[in-house]
Amino acid sequence: MHEKTIIKIKNLKRHYKTGEIIVKALNGVSFEIKKGEFIAIMGASGSGKTTMLRILGLIDKPTKGEYIINNLNVVDLPEEERTYYRLTQLGYVFQDYALIKEMSAAENVYILSLMEGKTKEESISIAKEALEKVGLGDMLDRVPDQLSGGEKQRVAVARAIAKKPKILFGDEPCANLDTKTSEQVLEVLRELNQKYGQTIVMVTHEPWHTKYVSRVIELKDGLIVSDKRRGNLTKS
Amino acid sequence: MLNDVKVGLLGAKSSIKRGNKKTLAFIVFVLALIFVNLIFLPSMMGGLSGMFTDFMQYPYGDIVIEPSGDNTYINNADNVLQKARAVPDVTFATKRLDAGASIKYKQKVVGSSIIGVSPSEEYDVSRYPYIISEGEFLSDLSQDEIIIGAMLVEGYFGSEIYDNLGAVRVGSFVDVTYSNGVQRTYKVKGIMEGTWELVDLNALVHYKEIEEVYGLDESKATSIVIRVKNPDESAKVKEKIIAAGVKEPVFTNSEKSDAVMRQAMETLNLVNVISKYVSLIVGAALILIIVYINVLHRKKEIGILKAVGITPRSIVVSYAFISMFYVLMGVLAGLILYFLAMFYFTINPVVFYETIEIIPEIQVGLIIKSIFTMLIMSVIAGVLPAWRVSKESILEAIWGR
Repeated sequence: MHEKTIIKIKNLKRHYKTGEIIVKALNGVSFEIKKGEFIAIMGASGSGKTTMLRILGLIDKPTKGEYIINNLNVVDLPEEERTYYRLTQLGYVFQDYALIKEMSAAENVYILSLMEGKTKEESISIAKEALEKVGLGDMLDRVPDQLSGGEKQRVAVARAIAKKPKILFGDEPCANLDTKTSEQVLEVLRELNQKYGQTIVMVTHEPWHTKYVSRVIELKDGLIVSDKRRGNLTKS
Repeated sequence: MLNDVKVGLLGAKSSIKRGNKKTLAFIVFVLALIFVNLIFLPSMMGGLSGMFTDFMQYPYGDIVIEPSGDNTYINNADNVLQKARAVPDVTFATKRLDAGASIKYKQKVVGSSIIGVSPSEEYDVSRYPYIISEGEFLSDLSQDEIIIGAMLVEGYFGSEIYDNLGAVRVGSFVDVTYSNGVQRTYKVKGIMEGTWELVDLNALVHYKEIEEVYGLDESKATSIVIRVKNPDESAKVKEKIIAAGVKEPVFTNSEKSDAVMRQAMETLNLVNVISKYVSLIVGAALILIIVYINVLHRKKEIGILKAVGITPRSIVVSYAFISMFYVLMGVLAGLILYFLAMFYFTINPVVFYETIEIIPEIQVGLIIKSIFTMLIMSVIAGVLPAWRVSKESILEAIWGR
């Protein structure tokens, strides 16, 4: 299953300047992600895990290093192409759902299909399919205020997977959820990974979340301190 | 771009459909007032301007021919009159002779302009015969009779402002001393009331009276007043009159009105223009503030939309649609308010100078122009803040910086 490398990261650095101080959020990180992997990036606060995910999701740019997706170095892509790449190739789930409060669940999902140039009918059908996948097929017309925290996060997952992205990124997708709801969301992610072969990279700080994933990358002070696969432990 | 429009429309539609209705009602109400302010004052001024044009009909008709250079009279006036009457679009024309005089009744004396008219011709040329509030208008045989302007008669509107002749009434006899010293006594045949100083401070006598007093031959006039078939085409008729060989200066009513009313109208127009621009600036600022607060409030949402692949263009388009919707609703509500106000002021005109009624004039061209101005303004005011935020980096937008 995990054969083809779809992401290759080499000596990635991200330094921020806050006043006179330079913060080294990532300080030379290298790894590869193969198709179909479900990866958890872990680490304490300030370890650089969210910065890593933002760079992987093309939301932020590295200060130095290479980031290759499917043999394309995406670091220096112009902003318009990065936007198009995010739209068509990547899915992103934020920790606070990030839904548009005036849009129904279906609209929150199909807005991206419309952006891709699909017709409204096609887009609605895609949104319906994605919401059914996350178990919300009967809540198409509900607005975020009418949904529970777990349901909102599942809408966010549906939005991310509706366009069938090459990689799905999750930035602490269960941070605002209780244990039971977190389990529901993680089950959805696991099912997407196992049933549909969806590649997923998720940032989390909860150790128990790792039971759902196939690989755990641990960061500390901007560096990878461990990279473990289930049943096949490796150290970097 | 089509995708941007589709996404922008979806964003705007959901925002309007499920947004705060009280806020929407407030915005629409304020924009309606701004729109009414844009079109209401000019409508009132249009009415005022139309009223002034009507007043100018008394001395100038639609077109007036005056003596050339420093001449007091038009020489060969009958010949000029004949040429003017021969122009096809001229319906009527008459000559007048004006003179300066003082009028005395009992112990009261006032200075006045006496206008010599051909009574039967005035029915077709001016409104003098139709504004007689007491008595009757002159007839062709009225050589010893006079029509007195209402402001010269005690008790009439405006008489308290100017010197008047006291309790002079129809049937009273007044003594008129002309500028050459000749004195005549006339019986007051009527009192004319045009609620306008240019009319009500004057007096009318038969044309022949002035000829006799000043010893003029029949071919002298101080003006030739002309009415045309279509007053809107006065300028064209004026050219035809000149082309017919009239050498004396020819003026249209609006040219004469312009000269007399220019200053007053310019002042009013200045007030109107200032008021219009202040309204537009207030409207633009309002939309800008509303959209800016909205955009700031949703900065994180905008960042997230960009992060998931929505283009900055579609975010800007969305806010442009929202602003346009606000303005269209404001314009619609404004039009309802405007027509209600027009209806009210047509039935209950604004009374100016106690007796002059100003009926507002609906100017379709101005309404259309104002709608377009509001729409353009709304798009600019709506797009600017959205464009600014949409150009920020995704992380800054998400962090709300």
